[in-house]
Amino acid sequence: MTVVSLDQLHKVYKSGTLEFEALKGVSLDIRQGEMVALMGPSGSGKTTLMQIIGLLDRPTSGHYILAGQDVTTLSENQRAEVRNLEIGFVFQAFHLLPRLNVLENVEVPLTYAGFGAQEKRERAMDVLQKVGLGDRWRNLPSQLSGGQKQRVAVARALTMRPSILLADEPTGNLDSKTAAEVMRLFQELNDEGTCVIVVTHEADIADYTGRIVRIRDGQIESDGPNPHRKRPVGGWA
Amino acid sequence: MSPSTVQPPKKIRSRLAGLNPWQIFRVAWRAIVGNPLRSILTTLGVIIGVAAVVALTMVGQGSTANITRSLQGLGTNLLTIGSNTGGRGGGFGLVRFGGPQTITLADAEAVKSAFAGRLAGVAPALQSNQQVKVGASNLNATVIGTWPDYASVRNAQPAQGSFFSEADLQGRRRAAVIGYGIAQDLFGGQDPLGQRIRIAGISFTVVGVLPDKGDSGFASPNYQVMVPLSTYLQRLARSSTGEPRVNAIYVQAPDKDSLARLQQELTDFMAQRRKVTDPSEYDFSVQNQADALASVNQVTQTMTLFLGGVAGISLLVGGIGIMNIMLVSVTERTREIGIRKALGAKPRDILTQFLVESVVLSVGGGILGIFLGLAMAGSVGQLLRVTPVFDPFSMVLAFVFSVAVGIFFGFYPASRAARLDPVESLRYE
Repeated sequence: MTVVSLDQLHKVYKSGTLEFEALKGVSLDIRQGEMVALMGPSGSGKTTLMQIIGLLDRPTSGHYILAGQDVTTLSENQRAEVRNLEIGFVFQAFHLLPRLNVLENVEVPLTYAGFGAQEKRERAMDVLQKVGLGDRWRNLPSQLSGGQKQRVAVARALTMRPSILLADEPTGNLDSKTAAEVMRLFQELNDEGTCVIVVTHEADIADYTGRIVRIRDGQIESDGPNPHRKRPVGGWA
Repeated sequence: MSPSTVQPPKKIRSRLAGLNPWQIFRVAWRAIVGNPLRSILTTLGVIIGVAAVVALTMVGQGSTANITRSLQGLGTNLLTIGSNTGGRGGGFGLVRFGGPQTITLADAEAVKSAFAGRLAGVAPALQSNQQVKVGASNLNATVIGTWPDYASVRNAQPAQGSFFSEADLQGRRRAAVIGYGIAQDLFGGQDPLGQRIRIAGISFTVVGVLPDKGDSGFASPNYQVMVPLSTYLQRLARSSTGEPRVNAIYVQAPDKDSLARLQQELTDFMAQRRKVTDPSEYDFSVQNQADALASVNQVTQTMTLFLGGVAGISLLVGGIGIMNIMLVSVTERTREIGIRKALGAKPRDILTQFLVESVVLSVGGGILGIFLGLAMAGSVGQLLRVTPVFDPFSMVLAFVFSVAVGIFFGFYPASRAARLDPVESLRYE
């Protein structure tokens, strides 16, 4: 089943009389259970594409079908709902709320979904245990290491059981050992069926995925399976 | 973990019906408590505004109540004939002291005979401050020389003993009716009746003691001594030639309805005695207690309006303070807003969050202001010797107004936060 279906997406940024076409007709299908890397140099349009897939931005033209719904023309409120239910974001800078503790950070999407306190706590603790931070739930983000912060962000992205996990340079602020741990966590989640899209410019990171889509100058340059996919050394596969 | 499935749109809408108010409040509360100094400074305008309203209203009503009480304590259905030496009539109906006195004892006697049977009582009064002494202890008191009718006219019936009599007046006897405070201070627990007191060195016998009239701040009846006017004129008054003059003539009308008519008739009568026709030449005034109360009430109303205006302005300034800080707060938390939007917050959720924050700030300020106002009313009241009147209405009004200020001035920053673009705000450093 196709989770993300993009059809001839264009995105034009206007600034006064200047126009810049960031996406020049991108068409892409991502199926359930896939783990995909979106690669490209800076300015290639990969961030714009990620923002459109994540419903943070709208395409200038083209169609976007997410989990069976056409989300191209949704209102602001409907887009917020779809972001809440279908998309889990993981950002390069973690983007945890500094005043909330780990558990409360993970509960934020559940709050906007209208869950009661009890159910929020149970679901949030569930995913925290899954990322191995069940015992740190009381801590503030400032008391965690970079890798732990990113795992909290992954937990937060997972609480609503979204259709896709959208990670924008998730290892950009991490050392290589921690980066490998986070990527293995993504692989593990992918093995359990979650569709994962990783935006990166590092080939090393892209090699954890099964499919690499390269973008250049707003167009798809290449799209195909990753022959060198890194697998964990043992136990997980 | 189960693989996610496509959610039908209908289910989405029912699920995401809206945030629980308690959670919204908690988010706002954390933001406020997270930066306590700033929150206090933000609400300072509202705190001071509300405190000012509460304190000023309480003290203002307290002093109005005092004035009203002392005016009513003067006696019921009272008309006061007083000297009017500067300008035309009007004023407060309180007897003027200082300045030449133009009312004479003969005026009082003429009023008494001309209006015989039509008045409930007539009592001229001449007063001065004198030293009152019992044994070694002494104090200063207002000594009033008057007629026996004073007891009923000025509401001065003794609680112990009796007022001096017509015989005391005729016989120029040295009989004195003393106020409650004097009895307490000079006689302690002893019965003052029949005891001797010395007024300006002259010995008087206490025939009556007034009940406790309360300490109303000025001209307290608790520190007055009433003696027969004849005795006063002979023994205590500064010797002067000609017709003895008095400070005022108090006249009691038989009922409320005849007050206005008697006021007019007394004015005409006094004018006739002086052979003047032009009211601008009147050297006297006949005043009605109701007039005095009315003018006090008018002053009070003006003061209330004035205070309301001051309070409104300070709350407005307070509101602008809140708006200012909320705008700063929205800018500072741009990234937080972006994150919340990425995680599924709708514009309405963000709007509510910031609106609730500003309302919580202003309501908190309102509550603190009420307590501060109560404390201020207490200490200012003590300073001015006024008992503040507890007025729930002004508190509720100040409170409601501060909530309204929070909503009004919180709306613009909140809607700015709600309209922020998620992409831009996530990028914001």
